[in-house]
Amino acid sequence: MTNETIRLTQTVKGAGCAAKLPPGDLDRALCGLNLPVDENLIVGLDRADDAGVYRISNDLALVQTIDFFPPMVDDPYWFGQIAAANALSDVYAMGGTPKTAMNVVAFPAKSMDISVLRSVIEGGLAVMREAGVVLVGGHTVEDPELKYGLSVTGFIHPDRILTKKNLHHGDRLILTKPLGTGIITTAIKAGLAGAAIMETVTRSMATLNRDSAMVMRDYPVHACTDITGFGFLGHLAEMVVDSGHGVRIQAASVPVWSEALAWAAMGLIPAGAYSNRNFRGALVEFGPGVEQRCQDVLFDPQTSGGLLISVEAEAADDLLKALITAGMADAAMVGEVLLEPKGRIIVK
Amino acid sequence: MTQEIDCRGLACPAPVLQVREILEKGSPASLIIVVDNEAAWENVTRFLEYHNFQITTERQGSDFRVTGTRNGEESIPVQESKPVAEGQHKKILIMVGTNRMGHGDDGLGSKLLINFLKTLKEMGPDLWLLVFINSGVTLAAEDSEGLPILQGLACEGVKILVCGTCLTHFNLLDKKQVGETTNMLDIVTAMQLADSVITV
Repeated sequence: MTNETIRLTQTVKGAGCAAKLPPGDLDRALCGLNLPVDENLIVGLDRADDAGVYRISNDLALVQTIDFFPPMVDDPYWFGQIAAANALSDVYAMGGTPKTAMNVVAFPAKSMDISVLRSVIEGGLAVMREAGVVLVGGHTVEDPELKYGLSVTGFIHPDRILTKKNLHHGDRLILTKPLGTGIITTAIKAGLAGAAIMETVTRSMATLNRDSAMVMRDYPVHACTDITGFGFLGHLAEMVVDSGHGVRIQAASVPVWSEALAWAAMGLIPAGAYSNRNFRGALVEFGPGVEQRCQDVLFDPQTSGGLLISVEAEAADDLLKALITAGMADAAMVGEVLLEPKGRIIVK
Repeated sequence: MTQEIDCRGLACPAPVLQVREILEKGSPASLIIVVDNEAAWENVTRFLEYHNFQITTERQGSDFRVTGTRNGEESIPVQESKPVAEGQHKKILIMVGTNRMGHGDDGLGSKLLINFLKTLKEMGPDLWLLVFINSGVTLAAEDSEGLPILQGLACEGVKILVCGTCLTHFNLLDKKQVGETTNMLDIVTAMQLADSVITV
């Protein structure tokens, strides 16, 4: 990584997906709104998923999503890459293929050199090229804090949409990237993170979920979501609540950056983790062996986290092996779907 | 007199960093921190408990007044913040091919090795990489006395590699709790990149 004189994380209050509005607040803002109705809107706001899906014909639908946030790393080029990988992730989580994107930018032109913006966008473009996505435009506003992201459009077959809620009894759950990016980026912001862990986590956040998504197409996957601002348990809660099933998670099997555990014990936890816990904590039952710091990491808001995949039990081992072979070295089987207790997450 | 700091209006991680700075400068027997949000309150509480303080909290309107009192004499020393730029330091690689240090008495040997790992942080930023092979991999697994020490080092930015073949041999593949699982090619490449290699 380059030695930039500017440390982007020092210029903003929140970092990455940890800057997301708390989930409870968003529900209060959206609840009961009178939404336009259209029979071709297959996935819309009423059943919130990773992205919206609109049917164009019997074999083609549009997948649309947007994501942007303040920097969680100091280097502008890496920030651009991470923001782009994060925005594209929602399309992959739905089983779609992203095609076009528009830049969404807020820039403090009075206090920051314009070359910073150029580096951010260059980083974004590098990831778009890797994903086979073209940039078709964008919108930039002046703002006291830098923010960057993409509005993404992709294609999907209307019969092959992967939503969050279709968990089946007996399914195994696979997570493709380690958890803890919110805590580690808090440590980066605090100037406590060493170069090695910073680079490892930055690379992980800038890694597209494309390869995972391609691999899972060949397996009997029932549901999928990507882990971002609401944390592992927050996104899992959405799957559980909407599907009418329960899940059991083996805490020791969940891939976690060990540095995140150590920093969690020291109280370097982003406020978003506490919001996630306060919003979804009631659904979760922790066994006596699950340490506090581990609970914190499970609620930690992730930036450009991995996919959480619910797959038929018989195919789970093969899918896991295929994911690891495809480069997701830390992918792991983390739990299973139960009939009872409905709507609950048991963490052992 | 008990030092009091006002961290109202600060977002995380700023309150924790302020408390950290005070503990770096001296070792107060007690201190009081005032914060105005729940996240800062939980984080400051966790930080002080980690450094062996006993905590009481008083609610004052929407503020939290946290009093920390040191438990006994011993506490985990607070590390000075390290520069994060690469390239300014030596790269020391340490090969740990055993779960004990020296020959003679095995019980003594394992105590010595734990003490060795604890003391490694004195190398500061020159310590680059720890490689665990053979019975050394047991140190990176569940229930090992060395695990919290290694997690602490990882947290300070030290890279940790654990031999995959050795984990498989000891049936510890699922029990590894720190570091990256690695292979001989990575180990050999790392040796080539290191400025010095120390074997235990």
